[in-house]
Amino acid sequence: MRSPVITASAMGLTRNESGRRFPHAEDPAALEEVRAEVVEALAGPGWEREWGVHDLDSLSTVQIDYFVEKGLMTPGFAEGSNVGRGFAVYGENEASLEINGGDHLRLLGFRSGGQLAMLWALLNHLDDRLETVFSYAFDPRWGYLTAQPRQAGSGMRAYATLHLPALGLTGRLAGTALELAHQGLGLVPLWGGAGGIVQVSNMHSDGRPEPDTLQQIGDVCRGIVEKERSVRKMLVRENPIQSRDQIGRALGVAQQAWVMSFPEAVNLISAATVGIELGLVDAPGLEAESAFGLMSRLQPAHIVVDYMSGKTDCVESPEVDERRALVLRGVFAGASVRV
Amino acid sequence: MFAEESSDWNLDLGGSVTCEVCGEEPATIHLLRVVDGTVSHTHLCPGCAEEMAEQTDGLALVLAVPSVLRNLAKPAVSQENLPTLSHEEDRFCAVCGTTLTDFRESGLVGCANCYQVFSEDLERLSAQGAEPTEHLGKMPRRGPETDTLRHEIMRLERMLHELVACERFEEAAGVRDRLAELGQRLEVGQE
Repeated sequence: MRSPVITASAMGLTRNESGRRFPHAEDPAALEEVRAEVVEALAGPGWEREWGVHDLDSLSTVQIDYFVEKGLMTPGFAEGSNVGRGFAVYGENEASLEINGGDHLRLLGFRSGGQLAMLWALLNHLDDRLETVFSYAFDPRWGYLTAQPRQAGSGMRAYATLHLPALGLTGRLAGTALELAHQGLGLVPLWGGAGGIVQVSNMHSDGRPEPDTLQQIGDVCRGIVEKERSVRKMLVRENPIQSRDQIGRALGVAQQAWVMSFPEAVNLISAATVGIELGLVDAPGLEAESAFGLMSRLQPAHIVVDYMSGKTDCVESPEVDERRALVLRGVFAGASVRV
Repeated sequence: MFAEESSDWNLDLGGSVTCEVCGEEPATIHLLRVVDGTVSHTHLCPGCAEEMAEQTDGLALVLAVPSVLRNLAKPAVSQENLPTLSHEEDRFCAVCGTTLTDFRESGLVGCANCYQVFSEDLERLSAQGAEPTEHLGKMPRRGPETDTLRHEIMRLERMLHELVACERFEEAAGVRDRLAELGQRLEVGQE
């Protein structure tokens, strides 16, 4: 089994309406006007899928966290509270739109696997459609204008999620991040560093053609993942017993634990995945789905919504940790280290 | 999903601009380490950052922010280049009221007009290499024709420069003529 180079792809496309001040400097009444205009446009003709517009004030914490965990909302927007904010989801969670966050509009998309080009095609298309209604703030020198000048230009920020536990374990991630910084790319942990899951993204949205930026991220990610794979092989070759011991212990905990935090679950799944990819482990339950897919559905709000029918308002509770352990025991049933 | 970016990563270093290790060189790299779930932030010069990267063990990550990005958001990196502004020097945008001091402190501009008002600061910072000299990506389809013309003129100017540098004068003459033609159309369009 060989996992894809890019575990998951995400993208944000930022725009502002010309003739209006950016949200942090605009009057509340004008922001309400922007939101009303956008909502009207989303309800109009010409969309292949329907937009579902959500009233942020009526969404519970769990529902907002669920959107964040699904990659439909950014953490920064979820924490905001300014007037005139709005949020809409396109089709079956294919894309989403933040209204009056840091900027007037931010289209978002998220997919499993290496799908950056597909996301750009979709968001570009939705952007074209929105532009038939809105006149965008644009300057030939600076590109699309944004509240943060470092984001001006294409307004596009692409994020590639990578699974790099061996580089993390051997202390090689720091050097990798510095190399990326020299190329204008950032490397940040996705879930507090659990499981060696990181995101590579363009730190600034300059005026380069968007496909060039995506090509750069794709090329860089291929290089990093090749390095990760060779380090994994080296670790097993040089430490055959210790490697099997660590992976075997991970399987044991996943099979027998009755309380499981999300970071611990990610670490265990990460170790088991490395074992499967190196041919050290049989785990029928885990091979049936992607490791990242399993990690995603064990996130706190996912557990509450998908496994507890939203019956609690609290995403951090003993019940959530117990339910997560139950799911994990089911997935890892029958898993073992090959002798 | 999108990785959370703490405000500390957001290029706002609250004036902490010298390297925290050597205390001498300007800090141009923001090092973020995650060890056993605990996050620590360090601001370093490139030399110390390289050294620390080599010494980092265990599960550790860094977010390295090139200096030019931080400068763009908060140019108060070098006091020599950026003395305290007097009232007269502190330009402001007549459309949204954002002052140069506001921009330097928050890294935010208030409206499209700010890009004209603070263009010198943005140009000076972009000259350090973070931004290209023109926008080459997607453009609004229904933008004014003058925008399209100006964009094309900037593209051809760069092409002309490169052709001259390569001593391909015959092709350069063609580009020059095309530039003159577009220049005239731009003038007519603006009248």
